[in-house]
Amino acid sequence: MKTLVLGLGNPILSDDGVGIRVAQEVGKKLDDPQITVSETSAAGLSLLDSIVGYDKVIIIDAIQTEKGQAGQIYRMGPEDFSLTKHFSSPHQINLVTALELGKMLNLAMPQEITVFAVEAKDITSFSERCTPEVERAIPEAVKIVLEELVG
Amino acid sequence: MKKITIDPITRLEGHGKITIFLNEDGSVANVYFQVPELRGFEKFSEGRPAEDMPQITQRICGVCPEAHHMAATKALDELFHVEPTSTARKLRELLYSAFYVTDHTTHFYILAAPDFVMGPDAPPAERNILGVIAKVGLELGGAVINTRKQNHWIIQTVGGRPIHPCFGLPGGVSRAINEEERAQIEEIAKSSVEFGKLSLKVFDDVVLKNKAYLDMVLSDTFTQKSYNMGLVDKNNKVNFYDGKVRVVGPDGKEFCKYAPREYLEHIAERVEPWTYLKFPYLKKVGWKGFVDGKDSGVYRCTPLSRLNAADGMATPLAQEAYDKMYSTLGGKPANFTLATHWARLVELLYAAERLLELSKDPEITSTDIRNIPTAKPDEGVGIVEAPRGTLTHHYITDERGVIKKCNLIVGTTNNYAPLFMSIKKAAEDFIKPGVEITEGLLNRIEMAWRPYDPCLSCATHALPGQLPLEVTIYDAQGNELQKLSQGIS
Repeated sequence: MKTLVLGLGNPILSDDGVGIRVAQEVGKKLDDPQITVSETSAAGLSLLDSIVGYDKVIIIDAIQTEKGQAGQIYRMGPEDFSLTKHFSSPHQINLVTALELGKMLNLAMPQEITVFAVEAKDITSFSERCTPEVERAIPEAVKIVLEELVG
Repeated sequence: MKKITIDPITRLEGHGKITIFLNEDGSVANVYFQVPELRGFEKFSEGRPAEDMPQITQRICGVCPEAHHMAATKALDELFHVEPTSTARKLRELLYSAFYVTDHTTHFYILAAPDFVMGPDAPPAERNILGVIAKVGLELGGAVINTRKQNHWIIQTVGGRPIHPCFGLPGGVSRAINEEERAQIEEIAKSSVEFGKLSLKVFDDVVLKNKAYLDMVLSDTFTQKSYNMGLVDKNNKVNFYDGKVRVVGPDGKEFCKYAPREYLEHIAERVEPWTYLKFPYLKKVGWKGFVDGKDSGVYRCTPLSRLNAADGMATPLAQEAYDKMYSTLGGKPANFTLATHWARLVELLYAAERLLELSKDPEITSTDIRNIPTAKPDEGVGIVEAPRGTLTHHYITDERGVIKKCNLIVGTTNNYAPLFMSIKKAAEDFIKPGVEITEGLLNRIEMAWRPYDPCLSCATHALPGQLPLEVTIYDAQGNELQKLSQGIS
């Protein structure tokens, strides 16, 4: 199964880079020609361009929810995206539209898409480091993504 | 006093907020526009080697990384006192033209077209790219995706990697292209030119042939007579990559023309107590508040402003489209904010034509791509036209080339004052005593800001056109009376 692990975010904007950090760590632990590990700061239609042609896609991103605790990890499938559009993360909205568009245009869309989101604390300060709470969540997130790949 | 908040939560790191205060009778008392700023970029860059700036600054913005990369690269040329080779200059402009094709395509079809193809009153669930494709046809949808994909291939091939190029160096670029790559770029450019023509035809069919839309484009509500700014070549034609910044008054006369290093003589920034934003204005005219006209230093730099600030387009088909636009709009300068969408398509065609020209240039496959800098670095300013406005990068270093000071004026920032004014005017014209505040009405207020395509949160990777919008109406005591949402459910 052709699989993509995609870290989303901005690596110089504190916790916004957590998705990319996790993807990089996952990449270091993998040696499987069927699995591609990639990162992007773009989204929307570019996200669609990135995922076309893969059978399975795992996206890792930062998220901010109303009462979430920094470092908390969420697992979401496409069935959640349409239910949770009121989340303050735009990515699920992007993903819903991107997926619908891909289907409409008969592109080779992945059969399985899973999103892991890590609750962020600071996403407006320029820094290459995550906040300590989010930094501490990275090994756990890496473990969860690796388990998902095996499962 | 009632309070209405338009709260588009587009992004993790914050959101723009339009707050409209109503009088007791339901008319608009005042409008505020607030955006949270990303913090600490200057500090972040201090102490870093200047040659890292093209890589770092492109991370500021998820929407136009190529623009930051290019402005930074040009600032480095000046900082290290080195001229890029002719081929390097052309390769940079080639990459930048491909970037413009992708960006303008995305903006028009995702952000602008839904208002016109589906109509400003269409339910938000239909007023999006999916609705547009369902109505205009799958074939066009395929062409949009394909044009973006192919031009991204050019960016990746020329720039070294997708989205964030590792390409610009002081005095040149990091790699040359071979004949095979060149030939493929030429083919993509040809189909991009066709796509540019097709897009203008779509605009013609959907907007210009619909009297109600054309009336809306020409209406006073969406008219603003400010100064216009844009980069021009030596013939005063629009150029995205290089040239001087030209400013033309609301009367169409040239006000000034400056080289990048002179920008501080011409641009100053106004600070207001109610927002973090700084509002750039023309220093030599002065800040007279949020008003338009010749005596106010407020200027715009949008696709329409660039066309207003220039004497024409440097390629034949774009020039034809330029002439047609101005003859329909009643001459230059055109001050109709919604015509910015039209101007963007003229620029799309120009970018595609310029891409084609450069792909056929005999020098483009030369391997003479870099002059090695030998002088001591000190100070450099680089300016390009980002899709959302004139982008200025200014760096000062020590003699080892380590950044001591960095100042950026990003595209959207230039347009904060006019953007604020456009929203205010639309709000005042649409929200009247006794008029029910509907989604369609709020969308019309949003339509005043969409032409600017404000990049409210640089670094965003939110999908344009999916701006969730929430309007909360409060009574004089601050109690929530009504809540209207779109883009969220």
